[in-house]
Amino acid sequence: MPMAFVEFKDVCKVYRMGDVEVRAVYGMDFTIERGEFVVIVGPSGAGKTTVLNMLGGMDAPTSGTIVLDGKEVSSMGERELTQYRRHDIGFVFQFYNLVQNLTAVENVELASQICMNPLPAEDVMSMVGLSERMNNFPSQLSGGEQQRVAIARALAKNPKLLLCDEPTGALDYVTGKQILKLLQDTCRTTGRTVAIVTHNSAFTQIADRVIEVREGKARSVTTNDHPADAMTVEW
Amino acid sequence: MQSAFLKDIARSVRGSLGRFLAIMGIVALGCGFYAGLQMCGPDMRSDADALYDGTNLWDLRIISTLGFGRDDVERVSSIEGVNETMPSITCDAMARLGTEQVAVRISSLRMKAARESEPEELYAVASGTAGYLNRPRLVEGRWPNKRGECVVSADVPRADYGIGDTIELLYGTADLDDMLKVRKLRIVGTASSSNYPYTGSFGSTTLGSGMIDQYVFVSPASIADDAPYTEIYLTVSGAVDETSESERYEEVVDATKRRIEDLGNELSSARQADLKASAQEKLDEKWDEYRSERKKAKRKLNDAKTELDDAKRQIEDGERELADGEAQYQSGLTEYESQRANGMQQLDDAQAQIDSGQAELDARRGEFEAGRGELLSQMGVDSLDGAQQALEAQAAQLAEQRASLEGQVTQLGELIATFARRSELAAQAEALALQLAQLEEAGMDEQAEALRPQLEQLQAGIAAIDAGIAAAGMTEEQAQAALAAATDGLAQIEAGQQQVSTGLASVSQLRDAEAQLAAGQAELDEGRSELASQRENAEAQLAQARDELDAAAAQLEEARTKLADARVQYQDGLAEYRDGKKEFDDKFSDALEQLRDAQREIDDIEKPDIYALDRTQSEGAATYHADAGRIDSIADVFPFIFFLVAALVSLTTMTRMVEDDRVLIGTYKALGYSTGAIAAKYLAYAGIAGAVGATVGIVALSQVLPFIVMSAYSIIYTVPIHPFPLPIDLGIALASGGLGVGVTLLATWGAVVSSLREVPAALMLPRAPKAGKRILLERITPIWRRLSFTWKVTCRNLFRYKRRFLMTVIGISGCTALLLVGFGLHDAIWDIIDRQYGPIIHYDTTVGLDDNAIELDVRRVSDYLESTGEVDGIVRVQNENMQAGAPTSDEKIRVNVVIPRSAEKMAEAVTFRNRLSGEGLTFDDDAVLVTEKLSLKYGLDVGDDIYVYDQDDVGNAVGDGHALTVTGVAENYVGNLVYVGRNAWKSVSGAKPVFSTIYASTTPDERVRTAITDELHDIEGVSTVIYSDETINMYRKMLSVVDMIVVVLIVSAAALAYIVLYNLTNINIGERVREIASLKVLGFTRGEVYTYIFREIALLAVIGDALGMVFGIFLERFVVTTAEVDYVMFGRTIHPASFGYAFALTLAFTVLVIISMRHKLDRVDMVESLKSVD
Repeated sequence: MPMAFVEFKDVCKVYRMGDVEVRAVYGMDFTIERGEFVVIVGPSGAGKTTVLNMLGGMDAPTSGTIVLDGKEVSSMGERELTQYRRHDIGFVFQFYNLVQNLTAVENVELASQICMNPLPAEDVMSMVGLSERMNNFPSQLSGGEQQRVAIARALAKNPKLLLCDEPTGALDYVTGKQILKLLQDTCRTTGRTVAIVTHNSAFTQIADRVIEVREGKARSVTTNDHPADAMTVEW
Repeated sequence: MQSAFLKDIARSVRGSLGRFLAIMGIVALGCGFYAGLQMCGPDMRSDADALYDGTNLWDLRIISTLGFGRDDVERVSSIEGVNETMPSITCDAMARLGTEQVAVRISSLRMKAARESEPEELYAVASGTAGYLNRPRLVEGRWPNKRGECVVSADVPRADYGIGDTIELLYGTADLDDMLKVRKLRIVGTASSSNYPYTGSFGSTTLGSGMIDQYVFVSPASIADDAPYTEIYLTVSGAVDETSESERYEEVVDATKRRIEDLGNELSSARQADLKASAQEKLDEKWDEYRSERKKAKRKLNDAKTELDDAKRQIEDGERELADGEAQYQSGLTEYESQRANGMQQLDDAQAQIDSGQAELDARRGEFEAGRGELLSQMGVDSLDGAQQALEAQAAQLAEQRASLEGQVTQLGELIATFARRSELAAQAEALALQLAQLEEAGMDEQAEALRPQLEQLQAGIAAIDAGIAAAGMTEEQAQAALAAATDGLAQIEAGQQQVSTGLASVSQLRDAEAQLAAGQAELDEGRSELASQRENAEAQLAQARDELDAAAAQLEEARTKLADARVQYQDGLAEYRDGKKEFDDKFSDALEQLRDAQREIDDIEKPDIYALDRTQSEGAATYHADAGRIDSIADVFPFIFFLVAALVSLTTMTRMVEDDRVLIGTYKALGYSTGAIAAKYLAYAGIAGAVGATVGIVALSQVLPFIVMSAYSIIYTVPIHPFPLPIDLGIALASGGLGVGVTLLATWGAVVSSLREVPAALMLPRAPKAGKRILLERITPIWRRLSFTWKVTCRNLFRYKRRFLMTVIGISGCTALLLVGFGLHDAIWDIIDRQYGPIIHYDTTVGLDDNAIELDVRRVSDYLESTGEVDGIVRVQNENMQAGAPTSDEKIRVNVVIPRSAEKMAEAVTFRNRLSGEGLTFDDDAVLVTEKLSLKYGLDVGDDIYVYDQDDVGNAVGDGHALTVTGVAENYVGNLVYVGRNAWKSVSGAKPVFSTIYASTTPDERVRTAITDELHDIEGVSTVIYSDETINMYRKMLSVVDMIVVVLIVSAAALAYIVLYNLTNINIGERVREIASLKVLGFTRGEVYTYIFREIALLAVIGDALGMVFGIFLERFVVTTAEVDYVMFGRTIHPASFGYAFALTLAFTVLVIISMRHKLDRVDMVESLKSVD
């Protein structure tokens, strides 16, 4: 059996806070196939952020195996993890985390200049529909536009996996939908694997695969043969 | 306040210890440094005060240009406010001490009081003697007991002599003999006097190099008996209770000083009167002595004169008499001679007559005798009577014979006649025969025959005659003979007859003659005897006259000899008298002159100038006080930077804290806490940090800094270091602490107030991130395009957070400036020596001759120097210790006026140049170059006038000064000099300068130099031989003091730099945790993250560093000019290396901070990036 693109196998993550052990993730198993639009959904404290952290190479699991495109992420050292984040992951933050002192295009370039096969910043910017606002500073952009920049920054690295943390969390409804649309389109048109972490179960409609996380486990992994268009989603 | 609130504060402290410590540290440093530096001055002053009070040092010193007497001391003592007085005798002298000639200040010491004084702990010298001021402290040996003993200063650096050695005094400012009984002083001990706290110079003098090198105390036994006091030291009532030279002290002392100055005129009149009176008294005695002696001498002279005149008269009389006598004698003699000649003549004539009579008589007698003798002998008789008879007989005989003979003669006559006819007829017959022969021969025979008859007749006649003859029987001859015989007989008879008659006549004649002769003889004899008696008579008379004359001559001779003797005697006497007179004239005119001079001097005794000098006019105390003041001014400037930085650190730290606590503040506000209460939390936080820091800093540094500073100064001052703990000046401590805490609180308030104005709702929301902005650099597209994004973001960040930018830049530039000041000060200090000796002053040897030296002396020295072969570049100059001033200022300072003999040579020995432009200055005979420090002090520029003043013995400027027009300002660091060309000098002094100081360069070989020094000291007139190396070493030592302070500065600046950088970096990172986390998530490697963050900090550091250089230049200039003393100019340029050090050190701190901050970056959790902005 060919290996899945992303594979979580019995992944545990235990935080030790003083004398208290917090099991954020406990025996997490799921797989994601290449080119899928994945939504990881769950309520607050279910462990989805931990999954995101581990999948994004920001944190290592206490036990278990995480594999991305054949690489065992879970056994990587800090240096390898940095390289992993750098080349394989494109991260979109809830609060965009743009560098305020760089223009939109520069923020994109900031990411692209550190990876091996970056996409041209201008192309990515036009891809996210911001070719007109390339030279604006983040403060001159609306939240949606900032998030687009953030997505562009993630895409420009030409990552294997686009990982989004509540990408609409700081946005209004309409804008949120547009961002979702952008992400979905990106997945569809470029065949890039996109994973969205959210507490909003409405997003599940548009996903190819839905991983429902609850109490530190992947409670269900369902695939959606006919996902809805992002613009049609209502919440 | 609610306990929860307090707990919150306590927890805030605990939770942000780094921040708390940062505020504490910076406040501690700021306050501590300020307080510590501020206390240096007061500590130094109080130490000096303790020393001064402990040794009962004078508060006022009164000097007079004419000294003081006992009465003056009394007068001064009675002035209100004067506590104790101590008169003293002080003089300056050049002395040979060890191997050198040095200027020493010799003071009398109160021996008994000194011996009885007890040195106490640290400062004091206890004494029970009233009026024992300036008590020196015996360090080694003992006090001097007797004449010729002394103690010397124990504080002289590098003294190569000690107890048992002898000080030889050479010459002084005043005549040493007037002051001292001895010229040699044996060192019996060493002492330290609070009157000379500054070891760099014990005072100024007109001798030698102008500085007192050594002070000496002697017992009064060594002081000349009538030497006046040169000064009166006094203490002022109540002054001991005040700190020396504090305002209160000055008030107390000034009050008394003014009283003395107000009485100055009175004092000086009294002194004048005293001096005049005592001098007049002495002079009057002298006058009397003069008059009486003159009278005596005059009388003596007059007596002598009279005697001489008498003698002269006598001699003249004698001479006249002698001349008369002589004349008489001469005439007597002449008369005598003529009479004598006359008499003699007469006598001789008489004699001659007699003699001729005698002779005649004798002749006649002779004739008579001869006649008689002849007669007698003829007659064969022996008397005339017989002769007569004989004669008469003869006469009768003769008459018979005559008659016979006469008959014969007649017969014979007839015969002879017949013979004659026969001869005649024969002659005729012969002549006819001849004629016939001749005629026959000639043939004339007829004639011959005619004649023949005649012949025959003749022959017949002849034959007839012959017949007659034959008859007579006799031949003719017989006839003839018979006739002759007959005639003869006849004649004989006749003659006989004649004879007889004559004989008879003769006899009668003889008889007559005989009678006559006898008569004549008788007559003659009578005449003779008469003449003899006459002669006898005459001769007796003459002899008598002669004797008389001779006696007169002898008398005359005697008189003459006597007169001659008398004359000689008289001449001698006269000469003696003249000598005596001359001597008298000389002696008494000299004496008179002297007396008149002395009288004039007394009449000219002016009122002395009396000065009351306080401690500010005492070089040692004033220098110390000035140094303490300098520390004060440095203390005023430096901590300002610390406070500024402290404020900035507090501001940013607290701003950050408030920002961090936005939500909390909002919550408190929402909970209903008042704005004040919330602000109080932060104020309390900052206040506690500030207060703790201030306390720690002040306590620590108020001990450490004054100790370091005082330790440094103890190298050149004898003021002891106060033992720990040093006093903490509460005022300064509170001011400093208050300022520190106040600045912190103010900064905190500033940080809090804006946040607190916001409504709670806004506070709950994340603060809108600061907008990104394009910066100027972006407009320069070519550069901007080439920058990577990390660079771009760095650049934009630099200017984005203005406050942070400013704070960092100011903080770092402050540190750099401080460092630069430290290093710059170090440069400035060492430049004094390094620039002065070598680049400016090329000569390294100074040989000074004493004031009396003349051209020959100087020539001898320079010839010697040339002859050694080890010395070159000899320049002769005239060195004048003077004072300088300018119309722009009342103040005058000591200057050294140098007048070179050859301007050209001078310009070779010293580089005259402008410091700023580096351009050389022309130095010729008309030039007047002032040194830079002097020009700065009086604001002199080329074309301005500088005034030089002569100074009196106590170093006060006298006269109105001489204006010299400045032709250039020369770079110079040590001393204040005016280089004056010899032509320009003429306007100051008409006297031809001797040029008695020699500048030269000597081989830098210690042995050679020692040998040359020894030789030089043996040359008459050489007073100082100085090698610059010695001076350099002295300066090095003095300057190492300031260097110590520099080290303190550098260390503090370093601490400050570290704190600022650490804090800034800390805040910088704290503010950007989210950004850092995001970058990490984006896959930035650790190195890339460091670069991203630290580059910004490094860049800020570099900018601050660079600005600090600029700031530092100004600050350094201020500090240098503040720390400078009048006598030296510090180097005014900071060396490139120092810029390098300051810059590099700041960067090194930056790097250090960055390294220590790395782990903080590492610790930033990527999860932070996921959090909401709060």
